[in-house]
Amino acid sequence: MLEAVNISFESLNMATLTPMLVAIVGALAILTIDLFKEEMDKTLYIVLTILFLVADLSTVLGQTMGERGFFDVMLIDGLAILAQIVLLIGSIIFIPLAFSSQRFHEYRYPEFFALFLFMTAGFQFMVATDNLILIFVGLETASLALYTLIVLHNKDKSFEAAIKYFTMGALAAGFFAFSGMIFYGLTGSVELFKIFEVLEARNFEPMILILTASVFMLASFGFKMAIVPFHTWGPDVYEGSSAALAGYISIVPKVAAFVVIMRIFEGLIASGIVWIEYIFYAIVVLTMTLANIWALVQKDVKRMLAYSSISHAGFVMAAIMIGTTQANSAIFVYWILFSFTNLGAFAMLWVSHKKDSNYHERFDHPFEKFSGMVKMSPLSAVLMGLFMLTLAGIPPFSIFWGKLYLVSSAVNAGYLVLAVIMVLNSAIAAYYYAKLIVYMFMKEPETGVDGSVYMMNASISLKVMLGIAAFFTALSIFIVNPVLELSDFFIYSSGF
Amino acid sequence: MITLEHYIVLSTILFAIGMYGVVVRKNLLMLFFSTEIMLNAVNIALAAISNHYGDLTGQMFAFFIIAIAASEVAIGLGLLIIWYKRHGSIDLETLQSMKG
Repeated sequence: MLEAVNISFESLNMATLTPMLVAIVGALAILTIDLFKEEMDKTLYIVLTILFLVADLSTVLGQTMGERGFFDVMLIDGLAILAQIVLLIGSIIFIPLAFSSQRFHEYRYPEFFALFLFMTAGFQFMVATDNLILIFVGLETASLALYTLIVLHNKDKSFEAAIKYFTMGALAAGFFAFSGMIFYGLTGSVELFKIFEVLEARNFEPMILILTASVFMLASFGFKMAIVPFHTWGPDVYEGSSAALAGYISIVPKVAAFVVIMRIFEGLIASGIVWIEYIFYAIVVLTMTLANIWALVQKDVKRMLAYSSISHAGFVMAAIMIGTTQANSAIFVYWILFSFTNLGAFAMLWVSHKKDSNYHERFDHPFEKFSGMVKMSPLSAVLMGLFMLTLAGIPPFSIFWGKLYLVSSAVNAGYLVLAVIMVLNSAIAAYYYAKLIVYMFMKEPETGVDGSVYMMNASISLKVMLGIAAFFTALSIFIVNPVLELSDFFIYSSGF
Repeated sequence: MITLEHYIVLSTILFAIGMYGVVVRKNLLMLFFSTEIMLNAVNIALAAISNHYGDLTGQMFAFFIIAIAASEVAIGLGLLIIWYKRHGSIDLETLQSMKG
């Protein structure tokens, strides 16, 4: 007879797992409440979601660094804690956007909030492990929930967006599995630290297989982060999902993907296989430049913002290629600053969202919609202008500091050409942000449009969120230093 | 004698077939089939490698991939059914209202 397997509860080290459990319990609680009492108001679910996310965040803050748990699958290092903090804050500021004054299909369902919490848990699993299996499971949990969230918007375009996203996601899953298989075949392990130990001991031979695995891995996460040439789904998905969710997609999933990419590629780029660095270099430059050029010709503000966030992601990818501690820290500084600004920009689109809009046969937010905005709704025009200037990287607003820090880390690491390309790209990018500002401040309003449309969907909590975004964007000069120290501390202590 | 190499070559060929399918298929159902072929191709190799090392991790990985593939199908087919109800077709050509 087989011996019963005894595993002591202490050896599992459940503290490493608590944050995700809080999110999952929250999701299940929301589903259970719906079982017992249907048709509750969305307010209850919104507040519950925020509460569970805050509880989740506080358990993350209580975690100690350098722990492993659950059969050594979970890994809590500084990177994991920092990434979870960014993820959770991003999620917490997204959820109040559901308090829109117009009623939307998706918020009627408690499943929306349950799926949202499951998705958050998925992202947390992704960043708090160095086991390829768990990264895969977390990635897919989060992605599958995200496809469903997009569909819940229930418009024809959102179905199209979700199917496109799904197809690309399924392909990316195949790539990830294939790449993981090659790594496992080469080293006999799926844990990243072990993989690198074995590969280093073998001096990164056979090179061609490692290169193949890296390319597939990069392609897989390229799909997730919408990096050129894997970006094709990106703008369509942004256009098809609601403006609030589009803002979320442009921030939080990418943080999780960046962390995983950092864990995997830090070792591979330093491995001395020059081709991996060349491929990275090409992808970074292409992503920054091409996305900027595509953004120039867009006729819709939402699509323009989609291409702009692709270009910003390219910027941050450059930091992963540089790979110094300063660059890795810059990733988080940049992304934290970017998330507040981008949230503000998408929230501006969200408050001006109008059901059955008739500006344009296809677009919801064409540039013409905003022409002469300053004459009708000066405050919203100024806010939108602020976010656009910030995205363009004009000092002293937030993203400027992120760009400064990133470019200086590129110079310090000796990537002078790259630094020049980055600066040039910022200059190109300024043009399309300025285009919206010109529309808002210098054009005459279109006839038959009154100012009420810009605050159509606004409510108190949306205005508060806009205020928070504007506050952190405009006064970032005071918060840059603490953010920098925080991310330096966490990155340094986890050895990246 | 069937060795590890045979399994890996088989897996790579199947993966390539799946990838080719993703590129050329215009029918969404066939496209989803192709991604399933890709995942299952990986499973074959994982099981073989796992046996080669005498280590169960690979087979565990394969089990997780099977579970994920199943949940992916659940979501994907759900999407396809809605799309078919609305448009009466699951051809890739119908997915072109957004471009540029």
